[in-house]
Amino acid sequence: MLKSAEVSERISGLREKVLSTKPNVCTERAMFYTQAYAENEEKPIIIKRAIALEKTLLGMTIFIDEGELIVGNQSSSHRAAPIFPEYAVDWLPEEMDSLDKRSGDAFFITDEHKKELVEIAAWWKGKVLYDKGRALMSQELRDLQDSAIIKATGNLTSGDAHIAVDFYKILDVGLNGYLDEISLFHKQVKRYEQDGVRKDHFYTSLSISIKAFQAFIRRFQELAMQQAEASTNPERKNELLAISNNCQVIAEKAPENFYQALQLVYFVQLILQIESNGHSVSLGRMDQYLYPFYKKDIQTGNLTDEFASELLESTWIKLLSVNKIRPWSHTRFSAGGPLYQNVTIGGQTTEGLDAVNELSFLILHSVGKMKLTQPNLSVRFHKNISETFINECIRVIEKGFGMPAFNNDEIVIPELIKLGVEKDDAYNYSAIGCIEIAVPGKWGYRCTGMSFLNLMRVMLASMYDGLDKYSGKIFYKGIGNFADFNSFDELYKAWQHQIKFYAQKTVEIDTAVDTAIEEYVPDILCSAFVDSCISRGKTIKEGGSKYDFVSGLQVGIANLGNSLAAIKKLVFEEKKITKHELLQAIESDFEGKEGEKIRYMLLNFAPKYGNDDDYVDLLLRDAYLDFIVELEKYHTTRYNRGPIGCRYYAGTSSISANVPNGSVVPATPDGRKAFTPVAEGSSPSSGSDVLGPTAVFKSVSKLPTEKIMGGVLLNQKLTPATIKTDEDKEKLVSILRTFFTDLKGWHVQYNIVSRETLLAAKKDPEKYRDLIVRVAGYCAFFTNLSPDTQDDIIARTEQTL
Amino acid sequence: MIFNFQRFSTHDGPGIRTVIFYKGCPLHCDWCSNPESQAFGPSLMYDRKLCKSFGDCLKQESNYLSAGENGILIDWASVTKPEKLKDICASRALTVSGEEKSIGEILVEIEKDRSFFEQGDGGVTFSGGEPLSQGPELESLLEELYKLKIDVAIETSLYVSWENIERCLGRNINFLVDLKHTDSDKFERFTGGNAALVLSNIKKLAASRENIIIRVPVIPEFNHTFQEIKEIVDFTVSLKAVREIHFLPFHKLGSAKYEMLGMDYKYSGIRNLDVAEMAEYVVYAESVGLIAKIGG
Ligand code: SF4
Repeated sequence: MLKSAEVSERISGLREKVLSTKPNVCTERAMFYTQAYAENEEKPIIIKRAIALEKTLLGMTIFIDEGELIVGNQSSSHRAAPIFPEYAVDWLPEEMDSLDKRSGDAFFITDEHKKELVEIAAWWKGKVLYDKGRALMSQELRDLQDSAIIKATGNLTSGDAHIAVDFYKILDVGLNGYLDEISLFHKQVKRYEQDGVRKDHFYTSLSISIKAFQAFIRRFQELAMQQAEASTNPERKNELLAISNNCQVIAEKAPENFYQALQLVYFVQLILQIESNGHSVSLGRMDQYLYPFYKKDIQTGNLTDEFASELLESTWIKLLSVNKIRPWSHTRFSAGGPLYQNVTIGGQTTEGLDAVNELSFLILHSVGKMKLTQPNLSVRFHKNISETFINECIRVIEKGFGMPAFNNDEIVIPELIKLGVEKDDAYNYSAIGCIEIAVPGKWGYRCTGMSFLNLMRVMLASMYDGLDKYSGKIFYKGIGNFADFNSFDELYKAWQHQIKFYAQKTVEIDTAVDTAIEEYVPDILCSAFVDSCISRGKTIKEGGSKYDFVSGLQVGIANLGNSLAAIKKLVFEEKKITKHELLQAIESDFEGKEGEKIRYMLLNFAPKYGNDDDYVDLLLRDAYLDFIVELEKYHTTRYNRGPIGCRYYAGTSSISANVPNGSVVPATPDGRKAFTPVAEGSSPSSGSDVLGPTAVFKSVSKLPTEKIMGGVLLNQKLTPATIKTDEDKEKLVSILRTFFTDLKGWHVQYNIVSRETLLAAKKDPEKYRDLIVRVAGYCAFFTNLSPDTQDDIIARTEQTL
Repeated sequence: MIFNFQRFSTHDGPGIRTVIFYKGCPLHCDWCSNPESQAFGPSLMYDRKLCKSFGDCLKQESNYLSAGENGILIDWASVTKPEKLKDICASRALTVSGEEKSIGEILVEIEKDRSFFEQGDGGVTFSGGEPLSQGPELESLLEELYKLKIDVAIETSLYVSWENIERCLGRNINFLVDLKHTDSDKFERFTGGNAALVLSNIKKLAASRENIIIRVPVIPEFNHTFQEIKEIVDFTVSLKAVREIHFLPFHKLGSAKYEMLGMDYKYSGIRNLDVAEMAEYVVYAESVGLIAKIGG
């Protein structure tokens, strides 16, 4: 098994090249799409989009870089973000001049491109998804979004994605296989039926798209051949000939070996991200569908582990070179600009056996060696997972780039089955994007990431008779003011009253968004690769997929529990704080000595989620359930149109949305200052969990995780020294096992704490009370240490990282 | 009286453990890293860093608190009944360490992490202070845990009367015995105790076939020389029934607490020992047939 920490010179060169490329903007796609739309205005949208894709794939710049083994580019250069004007483009001329000055995710853009974009934007005025989607919404829904209580802007400016396609089938039948299937169904279309015309267009657009895809691959076949002919380096010549040959085969047929299979997978991944603007397009269970190819090649001696690893690493670099530019309003919600192209490994076979194989290790190690932000690597944990594999995962985690994350079969699989997913499909689920889950190739879009609901704004509105103080609007008249409530029960009823309303509104917004996406930006190629779109003659959005479950995201989970608990205990039970004092404190953002004292009482005298305290944990569970139970009443726009499910469930995989979501929330009764971040995902509020990781695991597992299938995100911090020895690692594995096997935890990922974090913790101990460090073999809370010991640890952390 | 339940403790016995820290210790070692554990009653602690001068503590009747320049002044010598200051300070600068807990309450705390114990031989470790200086309730608690089949370890200096030890026996307990020094003069100068009692208790305990691991805090100026450690190791070997020895390098994780308790810390100027400095001791202990480890 290959374990060398070194990558080849080729790989490190390619890696460097992509990493050092400053992201810029590529206008080619925008030009082709604009032309195609303009030239074909009379045609049905689905045909228009197929033609636009075709025009782009045939016309766009392609290149093969020196040393590349896996080929295919998304735009005219590495890391250049294509523009998707049909989704939203107004923002571009507006933000154009500040793109290179953004605090995160900066892009540079040439003056020439700026000019082009202004023209493009002018043509699209009033035609883009964003405008059309907004127009579908009632004034109330638009106001709700503008107030930032519910956010769904990203879904209109960027579309859906959050999907993995059916790579098993793609690798099995090849692109020609799809053409055959499409033509088979196309022939059966009854054009005399109401649905016939639409289906006819759908199949036409499918075959245009698949053929365009094939032509795109053939362009690489030719380019590789030309470069081979021109090459004076015999080694490189051979490589280019191999690339050309690979492309020739996979343009039509099923791949014959591991190399071709991987190349085809990458092409699919790439085209999906040229066709549509969504992120979290994921690769599914790569160690499973590629394994037969790998095994055969290894057995016949046609592949070595070294080369397989080099190919995987090449693919990871390619994934990184794919880029996306989003409006600042959306970028803020997903810091660092990753595209969340997830690769999932491990888990179980459909027979329930451990699915870890040699390729799982290769993928794990290759990702570990590259230390890039892409792909996003997830490991499916289950109780019989290979011990060696888990230990290796911890070693990769130790490298400190946050991967792999763990998802848990022990909860996901049984819950999927309960939702109506067939057993074999449930066993085949994979992570999508960061932590959410779906069955690759059988699931509709957006297993998560619909509307973001800001729970703390709702909680505050329930204290003011429905008034949202931040926007000054009453979206839903409440049942009274906190100042007049005589018991915690009354407040709780007010919460229930408000949250029901907002639950419904998130679905109303999603319905408008989905209706617009269905009508204005249907994805064709993506639908081809999802079961059963072809046989039903429907895009995914029209109900083509086998399953359809989606989730929005609820933000501010821990704050909700902590706020309710603080009020219940300190105001109503112990009467340490009066209602008036509390209101005054939060309204003034804890101003003055009195305000500050109230804040500290809220922080220190009330139980906090993350410490295994039923008082707050169960209160949070119930309050969240009030939302979930309401949400479960609704259906998606695909209901009764084909898919199994068409239901909503909860989700907390809100990535970095806790920051912008917090920035629109005034001070809250958990002692959180106004406009500071709310808690992340399902993790405890930062610094509030002071009893260590086992207590956090216990608290998180008290959430109704079985109903939060959109993801129960838990981020844990680790200092490098706490997992240094083998024994430390074993103990970490041991608590993971308990968390997943006994407590049925959903997910966990680890951030290795950096020196910067320790410095920040020294300065601001309050926010970092949960940091555990290790000195001379002992673990201690960092903020409890004396300054000189802290300095000592900081100095040593610098050395180890 | 208990001053802390520490969950996910990974260095006080096998597996994942919950450590229960008892208050009160008959010794007062100069290097002690849990100085709040020494007094048998509740202890007042004041962390100036956290103090926001809210002044609620000054409103309580006491003759030992007064307003200072930044924060408060404490006349440590006159501190009495600190428990009345419990939960007064909102910023948690002024806290009271130590609380009486019933067996039921302790069992509830233990139960919380029980699912984590089961993976990899974890359990409960009694520490302190000196857990064996506690009253007879400890025996009932040990009996309960024995019935619940929860693994138990006790960290002890054995500087207690033999009866206190004897009543715990026969419950498959792992004794993690601190053996600080074999020389009675040094032992007394640095800990205030009597080495002979400790050595005799260890011998008796070893003879009663209990599981024992000897733990040696390696402390600069006290026992951090090859000769002194060798004597401890040799004594351990002579016990026959003991197979394992751990060397615990001196650290100053507790230093901030001395200040918080108004106590003097004699080791403040001394640096943490490095794991590497234990190597020689480990080599020797292994050479005479012991299993030797650094840290818990
Ligand atoms: S025996 Fe332990 S708790 Fe007691 S004083 Fe010595 S070091 Fe501290």
